[in-house]
Amino acid sequence: MGFFSSLDIGASGLTAQRVRMDTISQNIANVNTTRTADGTPYRRRDVVFEERTDSNSFSSVLSDATSKLNGGQGVRVAKIAEDSSEFKKVYDPGHPDADADGYVSMPNVDVVTEMVNMISSTRSYEANVTSINATKSMALKALEIGK
Amino acid sequence: MIQSLYGQSSIMEKALNASLARNDTISQNLANVDTPNYKRKDVAFEQYLNNALDESNLEGNLTDKRHIPINSKDIDSIEPTITQDNSNVSMRIDGNNVDIDSEMAYLAKNTIKYNALVQLINSNFSKTKNVIREGK
Repeated sequence: MGFFSSLDIGASGLTAQRVRMDTISQNIANVNTTRTADGTPYRRRDVVFEERTDSNSFSSVLSDATSKLNGGQGVRVAKIAEDSSEFKKVYDPGHPDADADGYVSMPNVDVVTEMVNMISSTRSYEANVTSINATKSMALKALEIGK
Repeated sequence: MIQSLYGQSSIMEKALNASLARNDTISQNLANVDTPNYKRKDVAFEQYLNNALDESNLEGNLTDKRHIPINSKDIDSIEPTITQDNSNVSMRIDGNNVDIDSEMAYLAKNTIKYNALVQLINSNFSKTKNVIREGK
């Protein structure tokens, strides 16, 4: 346990939120994409977070052995999952990807949902930045002991 | 004599360690604010200290070194521990009970507490220095 583990935890949170933000950007960018490599419209993607507990790594075994105070090791992205909900059907007979009835399958991306997720992700990112700054100020304060 | 000069520093050191561990757990809570089924962690130290200082608590008499201490009044034996808050009072449907706003408040509180402890330790040391210099 030390200042650096707090910083590592904060950094893992920043990385995870950035991956989430990337995924949201990808979803918004592909809101009208009707063609992908496998021939279907674009499917919305979502990140799945999990608490990082790599009990096999050297540093975690060492910190368990030397101190009972192990706050944790942060967060990681477990996987980027595809949203299996239905595609939206839009009537547009002139579209090259329209079916026999004139309907086009559009991606299952809802821009409003993505925007809300983006705000939530930004807030979480800011919270992690604040925790890193607090840790930094505490570490600098600790250097003043005995001056 | 030297023990009495540094006697207070050891409990301060423990409080500093507890505060640092709490900073760790708050960082962990903030990093996992969007993790499903994550339960928030906290550090228990102040309540142990209060228990030790509370005269009305009965202290278990130890007649064997393998006995588990009950309400120990020995301040030196107090160690901070990490606890998990399993209460599910939050309104969230993902099983996570981290409230980002209260975590930010805890973070600010903890930083101030840490700074105050550092200042106290420094003033202790400067008093000792003053004694060594015979107040000159």
